[in-house]
Amino acid sequence: MSVRAVILRAAALLLLVAFVTAPQLFAFAFAPLTANNAPAIYNQGSLLALTLSHLRIVALATLASTVLAVALGIFVTRPKGREFLPLSRSLVNIGQTFPPIAVLAIAVPLVGFGEKPTFIALFLYGLLPIFENTLAGLTGVSPRTLEAAKGMGMNARQRLWQVELPLALPVILAGIRLSVIISLGTATIGSTVAAKGLGEVIIAGLQSNNVAFILQGGLVVALLAVLIHDGLGLVERAAARRLGRPLDGTA
Amino acid sequence: MPTLRPTLHLDRLGSVIAGLIALALFASPFVTYRANRIVSGEGRLLVDALPPAGALVTIAVVLGVALCAALARKPLVRLAAASLGLCVIFPAVGFSAGFVTPAGNTFARVSPAIGFWLLALAFALLATDALTRLRLGPWGRLAALSIAAGALALLLLSGAWNDLSLMKEYANRAESFWREARQHLWLALGSMGAACLVGLPLGLASHRVPALRNAILQGLGIVQTIPSIALFGILIAPLGYLAANVPLAAALGIRGIGAAPAFIALFLYSLLPVVANTMAGLSQVPADVIEAARGMGLSPRQRLAQIELPLAFPVILAGIRIVLVQNLGLATIAALIGGGGFGTFVFQGIGQTAIDLVLLGAIPTVALSFAAAIILDAIIDLTRRGAA
Amino acid sequence: MIEIEHLSKRYGDNIVVDDVSFTIGEGEIAVVVGTSGAGKSTLLRMINRLVAPSAGRVLIDGQDTTTIPEDELRHRIGYVIQGYGLFPHRTVAENIATVPRLLGWDKKRIATRVEELLDLFQLDPGEFARKFPHQLSGGQQQRVGVARALAAKPALLLMDEPFGSLDPVIRGKAQDDLLAIQRRLGTTIVLVTHDMNEAFHLGDRIAVMDQARLLQYAKPADLLTHPAEAFVEQLVGTAERPFRLLSLMTVQDAMEPGHADGEPITVSATLRDALAQLIWRGRPVLPVADASGAPIGRISVDGILKHGRPLA
Repeated sequence: MSVRAVILRAAALLLLVAFVTAPQLFAFAFAPLTANNAPAIYNQGSLLALTLSHLRIVALATLASTVLAVALGIFVTRPKGREFLPLSRSLVNIGQTFPPIAVLAIAVPLVGFGEKPTFIALFLYGLLPIFENTLAGLTGVSPRTLEAAKGMGMNARQRLWQVELPLALPVILAGIRLSVIISLGTATIGSTVAAKGLGEVIIAGLQSNNVAFILQGGLVVALLAVLIHDGLGLVERAAARRLGRPLDGTA
Repeated sequence: MPTLRPTLHLDRLGSVIAGLIALALFASPFVTYRANRIVSGEGRLLVDALPPAGALVTIAVVLGVALCAALARKPLVRLAAASLGLCVIFPAVGFSAGFVTPAGNTFARVSPAIGFWLLALAFALLATDALTRLRLGPWGRLAALSIAAGALALLLLSGAWNDLSLMKEYANRAESFWREARQHLWLALGSMGAACLVGLPLGLASHRVPALRNAILQGLGIVQTIPSIALFGILIAPLGYLAANVPLAAALGIRGIGAAPAFIALFLYSLLPVVANTMAGLSQVPADVIEAARGMGLSPRQRLAQIELPLAFPVILAGIRIVLVQNLGLATIAALIGGGGFGTFVFQGIGQTAIDLVLLGAIPTVALSFAAAIILDAIIDLTRRGAA
Repeated sequence: MIEIEHLSKRYGDNIVVDDVSFTIGEGEIAVVVGTSGAGKSTLLRMINRLVAPSAGRVLIDGQDTTTIPEDELRHRIGYVIQGYGLFPHRTVAENIATVPRLLGWDKKRIATRVEELLDLFQLDPGEFARKFPHQLSGGQQQRVGVARALAAKPALLLMDEPFGSLDPVIRGKAQDDLLAIQRRLGTTIVLVTHDMNEAFHLGDRIAVMDQARLLQYAKPADLLTHPAEAFVEQLVGTAERPFRLLSLMTVQDAMEPGHADGEPITVSATLRDALAQLIWRGRPVLPVADASGAPIGRISVDGILKHGRPLA
């Protein structure tokens, strides 16, 4: 990683932290965007609290989807679960045609407004990329490697933990990263069903026609997404490097 | 010594599906009855949701399908069973609405409840599994899609569902439904078209000029990480400025709020898949093929048109498939900034806690994305001419 | 006739081909051999200007190739590479028709030519014309590659390791087929290889290259008997020299008058094959017969051995 890249990331992080903790310092930048003496900085709640609850729900949902998706991915690639593999592949393909907002909207009638439908939507939608990548990672392990592991006397459990999962790890991590990024965005929409999050800022802006609000909500989410995307990308590359096959950073 | 004799083989997936069906049939309400549009409702089991004879037939068919799922091995048999099940419960839920609603009551609403959805899910799973095992070719998949679409159209046109709350919501807004449908398609397809016009040359340029490659991919990658609602919102500012200060822009209908920022946001999201896949497609053309083409005296233009683009085409199409499915879904968000589309009903529905209104927006969106994915996958298969 | 005059190629300070000159006669096969990285392929690619020379020129029948537009030049020169580079999205027939189509031949003429070439390469047109490259075996792909290069009846064929991805059994057959077709069509061929056996088998003349320089350009026998440099001697293999020499001559060259008993050897067999027969059958001498089987003389072990070393 070049020095420039490090400085750029550090600056973005610093900007983000400064903005959510002391947004009034930046009022001068947003003031020109307001009309009729509207407030330049979001004033219906603390940006920091909103950011934290946004991150919390994304983290919880991703954790839950990761556990279930990886477990399911392992199950359908074992001899016992093979029967479910073709179906699960089709389901993943079909599931990806469901837009996140539809998942969110359909969850509301089932569980009511607030954090719950958002959590369900994030959880369900987050499953897909992780499950798909777990499958890709596990089925992508070379049969010769597995043959060698078998030949050395590893049992099924040892092969899974010592060979298959470590080899699939970078691909699984890529799925988690994709899932987190999608969730960050979907959580924003969650504010339309009254979940606490940064979407509140944007929606308040949309309702009161205050561009300054929209922009600051959007910027905070975008900065979060870019930084998290970037940070998880580093983890992923580190995992891939250990296996001696550098991934290109575009995935 | 073990004796050889035929045993009944229990299909594992089929057993799960049969369990799902049993749960749906005996433990979950088939429809929900509400006195009016927004009060919470009460569930009705299938036995109470249809006249005795109808309920008996429906239950018998559904149980038959469950048995088939658990015991039958042949994919065609399973597909037929699943189709039969779907062909029975879909009209049944419609008739049930008529049956449950007291005569002359125009306020009461009946919607499919969890039991219906579970049955539909179970049959759909069974059908999907059977179709997957049949390994249909591209034409077969297109035919299956047409049959499903035809059956659905027949169901809706026949009026069998007219008593359901969903269709009542539709009947109240038929005109705006089709207007938003056009708007939705225009947003999704128009921005895709624009992204192809810009993205193909951009992909070609980045394939030819390695220096451009990283800059373009990274720039577009960052756009992808910006959540949709934020990008839609951010675009409002410059477009609003444009509309306020450039008369021509305002005359063209560009406004800060509305379709313009939605269109541009969708366009920006579409660029990365188009550009990245164009590049990937071009770069996977084998080096010896290019070398041979040069050696035979094909000019650069001939090489591009006759060799590189045809060979890259399936990969480029795969990018377009991603864009189309993504756009059809994302266009829903446009409604938040006044851009119209099916999202209008979704957000109205959320605002009024009217589930059926939400579904009126969500179901066509899902159906469109689903159909688009199947159609494009089939086309991609058809264009892989000569590939191994 | 192809005249290569002082051809050089350098990339920055790196000289890949250094002042190479030689001439290939009409209807000859010139084989360029050398270790990998010697500049063979670059030399070949400068003939059809896939690589632009840094200095020097190439004349085809007296005409400087730089006076011909690049694409036009390449339409007139057949080109075959190691992986063949068949177009995966086009059928065998479409692949072969590539250059005729570029030249604007009419459909009927193209179809006739494609059929002719498939016949020539022993590929049944009915079966193969509509197949795609991935449906062919390696040997079949190779034949289609050569057929495609010959489609527009080029007077010159450039081949870069054309047999490199074939297994040894098929390779020998493919080399024989190429020789037969070349004798029939009279095409001039420049072929690059690192396989010495292939070079001696196919080459009318052999150019030996090492580290960008042309060390020697001579007939195969001269290369064996009068190697210009130690490197050439080492490359042709000191242990195999006598046998290579024998394989370049036929029974005709060592036949003696007289009579011998036993199954006759044909007069067109190579001396190497004849010697093998003599050793294997344990005979010092065997009769020689002409193509019709009539006895015309005899051949002896001693007579053959004399040809296995440079004649003083």
